[in-house]
Amino acid sequence: MNSARQTLSSASDSFDPRSGSLIERALFNHRHWVLLLCLLTTVLLGWQSGRLELNASFEKMIPTGHPYIANYLDNQKELSGIGNAVRIAVTNRHGDIYDADYLRTLQALSDQIYLLPGVDRAYMKSLWTPATRWVSVTEEGLDGGPVIPDEYDGSPSSLGELRRNVQLSNEIGQLVAFDQRSSIIYVPLMARTPDGKPLDYRVLSDQLETLRAKYQSDSVDIHITGFAKKVGDLIEGLEQILLFFAVAILITTVVLYGYTRCVRSTVLVVFCSLVAVVWQLGLLPLLGYELDPYSVLVPFLVFAIGMSHGAQKMNGIMQDIGRGMHRVVAARFTFRRLFLAGLTALLCDAVGFAVLMLIQIQVIQDLAIIASIGVAVLIFTNLILLPVLLSYVGVSPHAAALSLRSERAEEGGQVRHAFWRFLDLFTRKPWAAVCVVVSLVMAALGFLVSLNLAIGDLDAGAPELRADSRYNLDDAFMTRSYGASSDLFAIMVRTPNSACARYDILRKVDELDWQLRSLPGVDSTNSLALLNRRMLVGLSEGSPKWYELQNNQAMLNMITASAPRGLYNESCNLLTLYVYLSDHKAQTLTRLVEHVEAFAAANDTDEVKFQLAAGNAGIEAATNIVVKEANREMLFWVYGAVILLCLITFRSWRATLCAVIPLMLTSILCEALMVWLGIGVKVATLPVIALGVGIGVDYALYVMSIMLGHLRQGASLSEAYYRALVSTGKVVMLTGVTLAIGVGTWIFSPIKFQADMGVLLAFMFVWNMVGALLLLPALAYFLLPATRRSDAVVAAEPVADMQPAKAAATGRPLLLDTATR
Amino acid sequence: MNTLRQLSGLLLALLVPFAPYCLAQGLVVGDVLQSPAAKVANPQRGVFTALALAGQRLVAVGERGLILLSDDNGEHWRQAGVPVSVGLTAVQFADANVGWAVGHGGVVLGTGDGGESWRLQLDGLRAAQLELQAAQSALSTQADDEAAQVRVQTAERLLAEGPDKPLLALAASDTKHVLVVGAYGLAMRSDDGGASWHSAMGQIDNPMGLHLYAVAYQGNDLVLAGEQGYLARALDGEHFEQISSPYAGTLFTLASRGDGALLIGGLKGHAFVLAPGAERAEALPTLAPVSFSDASVLNDGRVLLANQAGGLFASAPSGFTPVSESLRKPVSGIVQAADGSLVAAGFSGLSRLPQPTVSASE
Repeated sequence: MNSARQTLSSASDSFDPRSGSLIERALFNHRHWVLLLCLLTTVLLGWQSGRLELNASFEKMIPTGHPYIANYLDNQKELSGIGNAVRIAVTNRHGDIYDADYLRTLQALSDQIYLLPGVDRAYMKSLWTPATRWVSVTEEGLDGGPVIPDEYDGSPSSLGELRRNVQLSNEIGQLVAFDQRSSIIYVPLMARTPDGKPLDYRVLSDQLETLRAKYQSDSVDIHITGFAKKVGDLIEGLEQILLFFAVAILITTVVLYGYTRCVRSTVLVVFCSLVAVVWQLGLLPLLGYELDPYSVLVPFLVFAIGMSHGAQKMNGIMQDIGRGMHRVVAARFTFRRLFLAGLTALLCDAVGFAVLMLIQIQVIQDLAIIASIGVAVLIFTNLILLPVLLSYVGVSPHAAALSLRSERAEEGGQVRHAFWRFLDLFTRKPWAAVCVVVSLVMAALGFLVSLNLAIGDLDAGAPELRADSRYNLDDAFMTRSYGASSDLFAIMVRTPNSACARYDILRKVDELDWQLRSLPGVDSTNSLALLNRRMLVGLSEGSPKWYELQNNQAMLNMITASAPRGLYNESCNLLTLYVYLSDHKAQTLTRLVEHVEAFAAANDTDEVKFQLAAGNAGIEAATNIVVKEANREMLFWVYGAVILLCLITFRSWRATLCAVIPLMLTSILCEALMVWLGIGVKVATLPVIALGVGIGVDYALYVMSIMLGHLRQGASLSEAYYRALVSTGKVVMLTGVTLAIGVGTWIFSPIKFQADMGVLLAFMFVWNMVGALLLLPALAYFLLPATRRSDAVVAAEPVADMQPAKAAATGRPLLLDTATR
Repeated sequence: MNTLRQLSGLLLALLVPFAPYCLAQGLVVGDVLQSPAAKVANPQRGVFTALALAGQRLVAVGERGLILLSDDNGEHWRQAGVPVSVGLTAVQFADANVGWAVGHGGVVLGTGDGGESWRLQLDGLRAAQLELQAAQSALSTQADDEAAQVRVQTAERLLAEGPDKPLLALAASDTKHVLVVGAYGLAMRSDDGGASWHSAMGQIDNPMGLHLYAVAYQGNDLVLAGEQGYLARALDGEHFEQISSPYAGTLFTLASRGDGALLIGGLKGHAFVLAPGAERAEALPTLAPVSFSDASVLNDGRVLLANQAGGLFASAPSGFTPVSESLRKPVSGIVQAADGSLVAAGFSGLSRLPQPTVSASE
């Protein structure tokens, strides 16, 4: 305490430590207490962050409040057909499956999988399981047996017998591929392992990968699909994120160093931003949150925002030190000037995040809360801890001098930096007009393109993963070889107890089944009604003339009794109608949903209820509906919030327009970009606009508030803009770049939607920055009436003659002006 | 202006309750025998069971009352209006305009315009009533009291069980005379082009009530084939007497060859030939152990047999020869179109084989 005071007093005799706000005095007069507290917090939260878990919980990614999802969750336990199963296709690379070596490998793999924990062994199926049987019609009736002959010995004759049995088994297209070069091991999973723990998809996925590595060879290829595998791959992808984080830190550090040329302060800013991340990660387990594939991106944002605000603080301190102040005084003055500006900007970010709470999807709400926590943490680490630390370590004198170079250069009569002169052009007539016109044209074109914006996921396979990921390649193989699309839409039909096979009910299901099959985008369907049709043919010696849902209750009951599970539940009061789709585009889903809704409205009775929707496509349909609503609503709220904040800050609707119009242009262009990149509006893109606008307004806040301050003191637009550029403009550019880099690394994520978020956010951050630097002054030229007058004067006189108005500080918190000189 | 507003308000008020009502009406699932077959976008992807020629026109029948017409030998198809939505099992034309289709629910549909429009002539319930009437009147006249009693009881049960039994085949000698047969020995006859029907079950020797899968003319004789190797012949076209069975398995299909011999296709690839007036059908060598599903006469008088695995075989002097590569999908009906190409019906829809495959084997 004493030593601090001594340093302070000896360093700056003229400085009164009792000056400044209460907060400033509380913090800077007890600096080592602040440090100690921060250290303790960091240790505690750092230790806590070790408990943080990565999760890819499926239920959190879907809008559980939507009635479709509620129906699905109500019936989930009884929907054994949608159940969680893994399909493993074992391919013979050099021929068909009637090959002794192939069958030996298949048997070994099948046995190994049988032993994995969590496998529902009773229902596991492969060529080698006894449940896989052939049936044949004979003169006496039906004959049958296991597909692999009892006396199988790998000899050509027993292989021939196997071939015959497979033809008779009805498994071609199911367990055996159409081309008979591969067969499937169907592995249903239980929710819990035998020891009572929930099934760990990550572990299961690893075990499957181990088996794949063991059995895959020159002659055998293995393809694995299924929800469990997908989640396993997602979690694995999540772990790679750590690497991206390291890369983001490295690149932003380099950029920051390039900007400051001062190792000391660069390390300090990076350090404080990392402390913010540590605090945030430590707070999450304390508050009961986990990181999921969406919220795992928040630390990137927090880090990047921390870097930009840190750089802002450091810039101020550097300039002050460069002007000859002591580091403690410089830190205090910077704190005094920038604390409120920083706070406003961070609050703006927080508002952007908070708007996301409106979306009734848990991952997004979690993202909003986690991001808000991160921003709150930044207030402590970067607005308080950083200046305090800077007051101890200071900056290198060379860097301090450098930071004032452009200011000095001008004072010394040299010309301004060429880049500033270029930007200055946008405050004058021809360039401003051109800029506004170009922006208008871009907005119009962008809007036209964005009319084609689709809702939902557009890519085939598992949209969470990349099209060329192993999982999606395997998925495409399955679709190709077995004709079963991975886009499953299930309709649940509630019936009275034990009435699921009643003719009048099956008749309705049969009719809906038929109607849906003629819809575009529907590949095939399956239902108990369809099974009845097929089984009647089978029971009638294969005669196709019996392909009918016969109004014969005894026959229906008999067929239902032997039906495979999945078409109806145990208490026979729930039927499932499966619809396999050729894609999961919103148009296909909407058409299907509308048709089923209309059918249900006409045919639901007290006894029979057609309920939507289960299956991945059913859930996607519900998600699309929620996302479409939310997208509009969120734009409304986020812009409402930003406009309100700007109005409060600028106290001028004209200035607000100047700040918000570039953001709107970016939003429109972002939608056009989505069309161009083939990205639909989905859960992952919802936060992009909110974050892009919420953070993007920072630039305008920094630039416009300073510009306004100078304008109000009578400076011309050109001069005011130049002042703003010199003090915060550089940092605005730095912010844009660091944020874009922070999120840009996600583009390489194996998780598709993270990559989509990365590219869109990077675009929004950069483009918002460009908008704040080019379009904002151009708009100001037309919209701020005071400027036009000043500009007229400027036009008459040479610019170089204009001297900055060095008026006294007005005390406006956002005015980053000459008060400290 | 005001009147206009009032008027439009009135119109709206009138329309509002109707709009959803109309919509719902079309969607409510009704009785299959009373619901017209739905128009579908891609009807040729449905399940089809049988094909016939109406002059140059191809007519295909299938699931849920689907009847498709093609005037370009199977290249393009259009859906005809059908008053029921039961699965149809067979179709035949007496000439280019008059024809019949039969199906589940004991349905007989008639057309007088080459298949463009169809009228319901008979359903299973009416058929059961006709059979009961016939059985009752037979009871009063017939000598064999016990058999007549049994027939009445069977007819009563038929009526009680409702229209769940399909008709499976038909044969028309001209535009007036047609015989339809089906499951459990169901058989009905019309002598006035379908305006009135009467039971033919009394004239068919089928005490077990076996399914009758096929009926065909051999010259003036009418031959029936069915379950458990059932074969019967009516020399007068009305009274059927059993012929000793060549086989214990089901016989699915019949067709008369150019030389007058009748070819019979059955279960597991068993095929037979019945010479005109012969007492016994002779077995032909089995080519593949897959059941035959349809037989049809080619333009050159040979008979084409199709099996459930898509194999196509043409009659040859000493049995059968494969005419083309297997279609690799189940075939339930096959016919040669006017241009010589083959058109097949099956579980995966309708398909057309360009012409050369058949003639090349000559």
